[in-house]
Amino acid sequence: MKTPYAILEVAEQATDGEIKQAYLQKVKQFPPDHYHQQFQQIHQAYQAIKDTSSRTKTALFTVQEADFNALLDHAFSFGAAAAISADQIEKLLRASIDENLFKIELPDTLKTL
Amino acid sequence: MNEIIVGIDLGTTNSEVAVVENGQVTIITDNGRKILPSFVGIDDQGDILVGETARNQYLVYPERTVKSIKRLMGQDIKVDLAGHEYAPQEISAIILKRLKAIAEQYVKQPITKAVITVPAYFSDAQRQATREAGEIAGLDVVRMINEPTAAALAYGGNQVEQKRMLVYDLGGGTFDVSVVNIEAGVVEVLSSHGDNHLGGDDFDQQIIEYLLDHLSETKGVDARLHSKALARLTRAAEHAKFVLSDQPFVKIEEEYLLEHNGAAVHLSLELSRSDYEEMIEDYINATIDAVHIALKGAKLTPADIDEIVLVGGSTRTPCIRERLFDEFGFEPHSEVDPDLCVAMGAATQAAMISGQKVEAVLVDVTPYTYGTSALGYLNGEYYPHKYVPIIHKNSALPICKTEAFFTNHDGQQVVSITVYQGEDPDALNNIKIGEFLVEGLQDVEAGNIVTVTLALDLNGMLQVSAQEKATGLEKSITIQNALSRFELESLDSAKLRINKLFGQADGSVVHAVAPETDQSDVVEARKLIAKAEALFDKTSNEDKEDMIDLIEDIQTCIAEGLTDRLKETAAKLADIIYYLES
Repeated sequence: MKTPYAILEVAEQATDGEIKQAYLQKVKQFPPDHYHQQFQQIHQAYQAIKDTSSRTKTALFTVQEADFNALLDHAFSFGAAAAISADQIEKLLRASIDENLFKIELPDTLKTL
Repeated sequence: MNEIIVGIDLGTTNSEVAVVENGQVTIITDNGRKILPSFVGIDDQGDILVGETARNQYLVYPERTVKSIKRLMGQDIKVDLAGHEYAPQEISAIILKRLKAIAEQYVKQPITKAVITVPAYFSDAQRQATREAGEIAGLDVVRMINEPTAAALAYGGNQVEQKRMLVYDLGGGTFDVSVVNIEAGVVEVLSSHGDNHLGGDDFDQQIIEYLLDHLSETKGVDARLHSKALARLTRAAEHAKFVLSDQPFVKIEEEYLLEHNGAAVHLSLELSRSDYEEMIEDYINATIDAVHIALKGAKLTPADIDEIVLVGGSTRTPCIRERLFDEFGFEPHSEVDPDLCVAMGAATQAAMISGQKVEAVLVDVTPYTYGTSALGYLNGEYYPHKYVPIIHKNSALPICKTEAFFTNHDGQQVVSITVYQGEDPDALNNIKIGEFLVEGLQDVEAGNIVTVTLALDLNGMLQVSAQEKATGLEKSITIQNALSRFELESLDSAKLRINKLFGQADGSVVHAVAPETDQSDVVEARKLIAKAEALFDKTSNEDKEDMIDLIEDIQTCIAEGLTDRLKETAAKLADIIYYLES
């Protein structure tokens, strides 16, 4: 599965403006009239990373789940926790203070027919 | 040479056809006219009239004339035209056929393909009906694009720098507002909202009601019971609306409107712009609310908008400009004629499809949320019709989304899928647009997974399918105007019927003049009538009324074979025409 960054061919550090330009170029290359699938993929990728808030949400679902036992083991054996990068920790922190993120709609019941 | 695809704006009041030639958009004219009034009529010969002639005839023969058919598109009803019943699709097809003929005359080759614009807020059923109208008219509708989007394309197709545009499109019968981002040659609609039954016709209706009330108060007559008087009031109301766009007051005068207790009833009163604006205030408020919903949908505020584009004849109402100025703090644009920019955008899109080199790329959205219903909880209580949105409002087209559902009880072999359009959490408050059953599921415990996929294409038309995950058992339908389905056979027979009306197999020529008969007086009289009707717009009310009276008299003479009186009356009419033309 390609990441949104790979689909739009931008660096993970790209600015909002760079991401938008990359998206517009891709849309011109794959207009919805002739490239239904590609266009949908490009559009979704853009929606996923177009600004800080969407990038954080996307990151939340792509950052590996922290394995605390492994982290503890790591800490015991090396005396330092380093299984996740500083950048990932920052993203997680940012996510935890963005209360909107925790309003993710959970199905209030099993959708049955 | 690529095949020519024309762009058509099929409007409530007016229609236009345009084409791109060598990168230039041209609105195709018919006898010098760019606009074809969306009126259809049958003359006393049984011949079909479309456009100006039908509009003129409306005053004298409202029962043989149909206007504003677009407001009925997608509904399962028939309209009466000279004693015959027609579906709204068929009436629209007559207008399309005329536009097709106008375009064919211009490009000097047959035209079979068209891009037709529809209001962004047109529902699935209304879109389907539009496509069927095209088919009946012998046009393959290669794409339907939203009217505000077409307008944005006409305005900003070759724009280089970034611009955020708000398109405010108030036509004869529909209102749309879209927020559009134009950047690097990509015209991208960010959000769209509207009302598919709000337009200039409603403004007219307010004035008509006012006139009717006035007549019943001062004269004690109900003009509603007189179709001709009502037709004249309609025309007078429309005229008053136009005048009030430029003037603070309008005098409405219709003499000899009707007869009541043996006496003639005349109408004469003055209407001020401020009174008129009060009448339509609720409608204008509704449009401004829609503007805010569209902005919210695009996650923008008025300050983010660089330009406002006005589309549709009703935007000439001064208070609309004022209200928009109050909201945004700058004047809206209307450099491109608000009546023509939609057709121009349609032609641009047509050129893109036919492979002509056009710079812009278009990305549009759906103004509706689509979903299905399931058992669930609503406001904390068990509810069997909980709405499950699948495709959300303002999603870019095309889009395809899948949602998983589970069977409710053991051994459940059938599931019923109902598709709705709307946002209400209670599915029953949304518009039901189709339903189907998936039968023959595996005999297993509850929890058997059935996936439902909704796919919305570039025309805004929906395709629905459901699949049992374990077996791959699949069932799909295209929501084809599911509630007022126009079957294939009836499409074919409609095609024949409409062609017959045009008097020939391909219907490419419309008879404007009645065929020769041996009664030369009658023929002469008919020519005079046509001439008189063509002068209606340029004459004073007084002369117009005189002409209408004479025309009615002439019709009676023809019907009853009163040759002498016919000659006499025709001579009077000829005098008036001579006097008006000199």
